[in-house]
Amino acid sequence: MAGKFWSSSQFQQWILDRQDLLRERHGDLQILSEEEYHKVMIFFANFIQSLGEQLKVKQQVIATATVYFKRFYVRNSFKCVDPLLLAPTCIFLASKVEEFGVISNSRLISTCQAVVKNKYSHVYTAEFPYRINHVLECEFYLLEVMDCCLVLYHAYRPLVQYVADIGQENDLLSTAWKVANDSLRTDVALMYPPHQIAIACLHIACVILQKDYKTWFAELNVDFEKILEITRIILNLYELCKNFDEKKEIPQILQKVPKPKTQPSRPPSQGADGQPPAQPVVQQQQQPQGLQQP
Amino acid sequence: MSEQMDGDQSSQSRYQKIEFLGEGQFATVFKARDSQTDQIVAVKKIKIGSRAEARDGINRTALREIKLMQELHHENVLGLLDVFGHQSDISLVFDYMITDLETLIKDTRVILYPAHVKCYTLQCLKGLEYLHLNWVLHRDLKPNNLLIDENGILKIGDFGLAKFFGSPRVYTHQVVTRWYRAPELLFGARIYGTGVDMWAVGCILAELLLRLPFLPGETDLDQISKIFQCMGTPTEETWPGVTKLPDYVEFKGFPGTQFEEIFTAAGDDLLELLRKLLAMDPLNRCTCTEALKMDYFSNKPNPSDPSDLPLPSKFKKLQGAKRKVEADDSPAARKIRF
Repeated sequence: MAGKFWSSSQFQQWILDRQDLLRERHGDLQILSEEEYHKVMIFFANFIQSLGEQLKVKQQVIATATVYFKRFYVRNSFKCVDPLLLAPTCIFLASKVEEFGVISNSRLISTCQAVVKNKYSHVYTAEFPYRINHVLECEFYLLEVMDCCLVLYHAYRPLVQYVADIGQENDLLSTAWKVANDSLRTDVALMYPPHQIAIACLHIACVILQKDYKTWFAELNVDFEKILEITRIILNLYELCKNFDEKKEIPQILQKVPKPKTQPSRPPSQGADGQPPAQPVVQQQQQPQGLQQP
Repeated sequence: MSEQMDGDQSSQSRYQKIEFLGEGQFATVFKARDSQTDQIVAVKKIKIGSRAEARDGINRTALREIKLMQELHHENVLGLLDVFGHQSDISLVFDYMITDLETLIKDTRVILYPAHVKCYTLQCLKGLEYLHLNWVLHRDLKPNNLLIDENGILKIGDFGLAKFFGSPRVYTHQVVTRWYRAPELLFGARIYGTGVDMWAVGCILAELLLRLPFLPGETDLDQISKIFQCMGTPTEETWPGVTKLPDYVEFKGFPGTQFEEIFTAAGDDLLELLRKLLAMDPLNRCTCTEALKMDYFSNKPNPSDPSDLPLPSKFKKLQGAKRKVEADDSPAARKIRF
């Protein structure tokens, strides 16, 4: 996606600092440790990646969906919408925004069912519980929570430009590209402009490949303090993942994650409180709003 | 989008319907009052098409419009204020605009002076230049989509067909209302650029001068024929590559008509602008930035002040009232505006 980053809604409204993130996540961080919170985020970024790959969407769509997912939980508690529902919703919306095309309803749900069953049965013993009406319901809520800011700038485009500028062979791009994919499992996309992330990914790729492009980096006119911050965050992710036994830890952490009151364990029926059946998964919106107020 | 957590019901009651404004292919538009700010707004309710379409979730046309308008902020581009709804039932809230260029052109009681035409063209090109610099193609410019507020400010609206552009890629050629459709689109070009919007501006400027649609084709083929009668049938010499376009059809060789004969009251500088906007070969068409630098905009008469632009006759009373207020302005204030 082309356009101008510096006048974009992403730069104007959605570059947050660490304090913002901690404050916004305060509710969930009362229940989960920061490390556990990150592990949940890593888990669902992986889940979105698996879904996207199964649906054969472009990496751009996966990246956009992952950032949407993060933006949503910056503004809301896990209590508000089950992340297992939000993940496919993000893919659904991102695929339309990136003009990839509409993913058919039945294909989206059957893919969720297949991925949950084949890859995540260690976490979800039951069948994928949501239907398309839940996703459609959630889609609008997602749009609202993001204040309709849909256009995203990712690190991939500047990355390709920088590698072309260095005039390097493909292994640098492919390594840095993978680092950029991994960076989606951190908060960097919520905190830094994409070109800085791209430079940090290149930096890490150069270390991995033991390539020396000091002169190229030296000529850049960027805030190296920021690049180092990003590098540190990504390296912390690798450190965290070393000892992260997803199969064992995630079920325990998800046990603790606050859940929406209404669970669609069965096909939705008229709720006891007389709520229409069309709204079983998204909590009444006044509630999370109330929660955010100290 | 101040009220991000606004519940569905409160949003619907927030905007109180005043009157029906119009209906298009994709949406119905109402005038409404925002009960929170007391501002008058336009609410565009997206039509739910087929049942199957409703199952696609948020309508794609609406999504495209929301996505682009959230990124665009310019005096001559319509501002999106809010979005509300539920699933595929979605409404967009915009600045309320009292009229549009089509209404003004058709209103026989409105007199458009050369300074007025220049002011509209200038505002349109400024808004479009901003869009193009931000890599957005509008793809559906027509007088009906150029909205005008009570201060005479023109704003480009209706981004339902707009698209980001970048590296050459294949687009659908079924865009732009026929009368404003560039010749390359009529010949089925799938790779095109800002030229399609420039052509439309040329047609709109011509319509401002003639007070009638410039090239009102009845079918796509008739549209091509009308263009050729006016501009002359293109050849490989005048437009390299034209015969290779997917839907190219050979036409009888019209010699074309001199612009001086069509726009008898227009000066040379204006004719030159028209020729650059309506160049057959898209590569010879000017860009907005080039157009804005042309003599027409620096020559006399100066473009009129937007607040001096005419309003449709149904607003005559209002206009009188406004004029009165203006007359009370200090002379200094009036000078500053010029």
